[in-house]
Amino acid sequence: MSLQHTHALIDHLDKTLTDTPGQPSSEESAAMQRLISEDEDIAKEWNYLHLAVEAVREKGLFEQVAAIRTQWEARTASQEEGEGIAMTQETPADEKPAGGALRNLYRNTMRVAVCILLFAAGATIFRYVRLSSSSLYNAYYSSYELNTSRDASITDPIEQAYIEKNWPEVLTRFSTTKERNNKIDFLVGMASLELKKFDDAIAHFEQVMATNSTSHTDYFEDEAEYYLAIAWLATSKVNEAMPILERIKSNKDHLYYQKVSKMSFTDLRLVQYKENK
Amino acid sequence: MKVAEKYTDAELITAISNEKNLNSAILFLYQRYCESTRSFIMSYGGNQQDADDVFQETVIAFIDTVTKGKYRQEASVKTFLASVARHIWFNELKKKERAGLREKRFESTRDQQQEDVSQQIGDLEQRQQLRDIMQQLGEPCQTILLLFYYENLSMKEITHHLPYENEQVVRNKKYKCLQQLTGMIKANPVIAGQLNELIK
Repeated sequence: MSLQHTHALIDHLDKTLTDTPGQPSSEESAAMQRLISEDEDIAKEWNYLHLAVEAVREKGLFEQVAAIRTQWEARTASQEEGEGIAMTQETPADEKPAGGALRNLYRNTMRVAVCILLFAAGATIFRYVRLSSSSLYNAYYSSYELNTSRDASITDPIEQAYIEKNWPEVLTRFSTTKERNNKIDFLVGMASLELKKFDDAIAHFEQVMATNSTSHTDYFEDEAEYYLAIAWLATSKVNEAMPILERIKSNKDHLYYQKVSKMSFTDLRLVQYKENK
Repeated sequence: MKVAEKYTDAELITAISNEKNLNSAILFLYQRYCESTRSFIMSYGGNQQDADDVFQETVIAFIDTVTKGKYRQEASVKTFLASVARHIWFNELKKKERAGLREKRFESTRDQQQEDVSQQIGDLEQRQQLRDIMQQLGEPCQTILLLFYYENLSMKEITHHLPYENEQVVRNKKYKCLQQLTGMIKANPVIAGQLNELIK
């Protein structure tokens, strides 16, 4: 079956999924439907496409229910915990009740506490609505300045293009060079990141880390690790970014420890919760 | 987490069918029915983890049955969920080969209602396999397909969510991803076999 046919079939499938039932079909749709009923191969492909959509929907529903299950389990666990605390804090029957003034003070304190709680909840909801992986990426992304003191003179054309911030040129020169090392991979990854080619950037940063892992070196390891987390945020994969950032935060010797320590992990977790929903 | 809205059976079915406030409907199902399922599964040899897994599958099967218009409303939601949970746990026990007494007790309690439920909720095994296949798909493809076919976002909206240059790039990527997923399904001997049987 040709690619053109498959694409036409997919377009037809998308159309049938979005059309309201009972709506008259266009001539094109009717022709496609005839083709499906007359050609065995096309009918088979059509069924597989339906099954693929079924798989997507199964996965989507599974994730949605799993997220609610997690919330519900957390809630029941905290309720059980709360009940435990309440049991231990129960006033003994023979204890004298507190006086009126004390009760008023208690009430006022509670009112203030409720106000603070409501304000905090409002702020959290506002932050929650506003937050996304992309917003965190925008907040935390900063360009990488190549430290030229690492090497006395710049002879490498890729480095030269990088220093000139000519990102497309970095990629062009990389495609024509046979040389490959961690520094080159990292710079090409950074240039890809600047050009918002996030998947390419991720591939280059992972390459740096893979090379270090097999050769037991750490050349550009910290840089690649940090920017890999940033690239995951750019692609809305906060689940991938989080373990890396947590690892950096727990390692005071990491080059990016200071930077990551200043990040709001509450925001990151909020985004994680929001995007896993 | 807020307390779920309260639904009558009819309201619940409507909420699920319309796919609006689905989170609220799922939460209601958990708050209302999870405990009874837990007790049931645990009284038949499962632990809490088993019970929660079974209930999760039960909720998925129920929502799927309703959204596909297969829910017949002959029994209450409570009864239907209990039957689905029982059916799932029975299959699970069979799979785990915890044969012997417990299974026989189950066999003897399987009734016509169980058979009806089995027909309504479809092939559990196949659904699990479809999910596993989807899981093997790369992350970018999973996201793009979920946004389009599950979240029902348009190409334009997806372009805002993902780092693709324009709608055409997203469309091409979606073609590739769907074809890749279809290829993986074709390569699964069990599913391919079932489909070929159906087509014959």
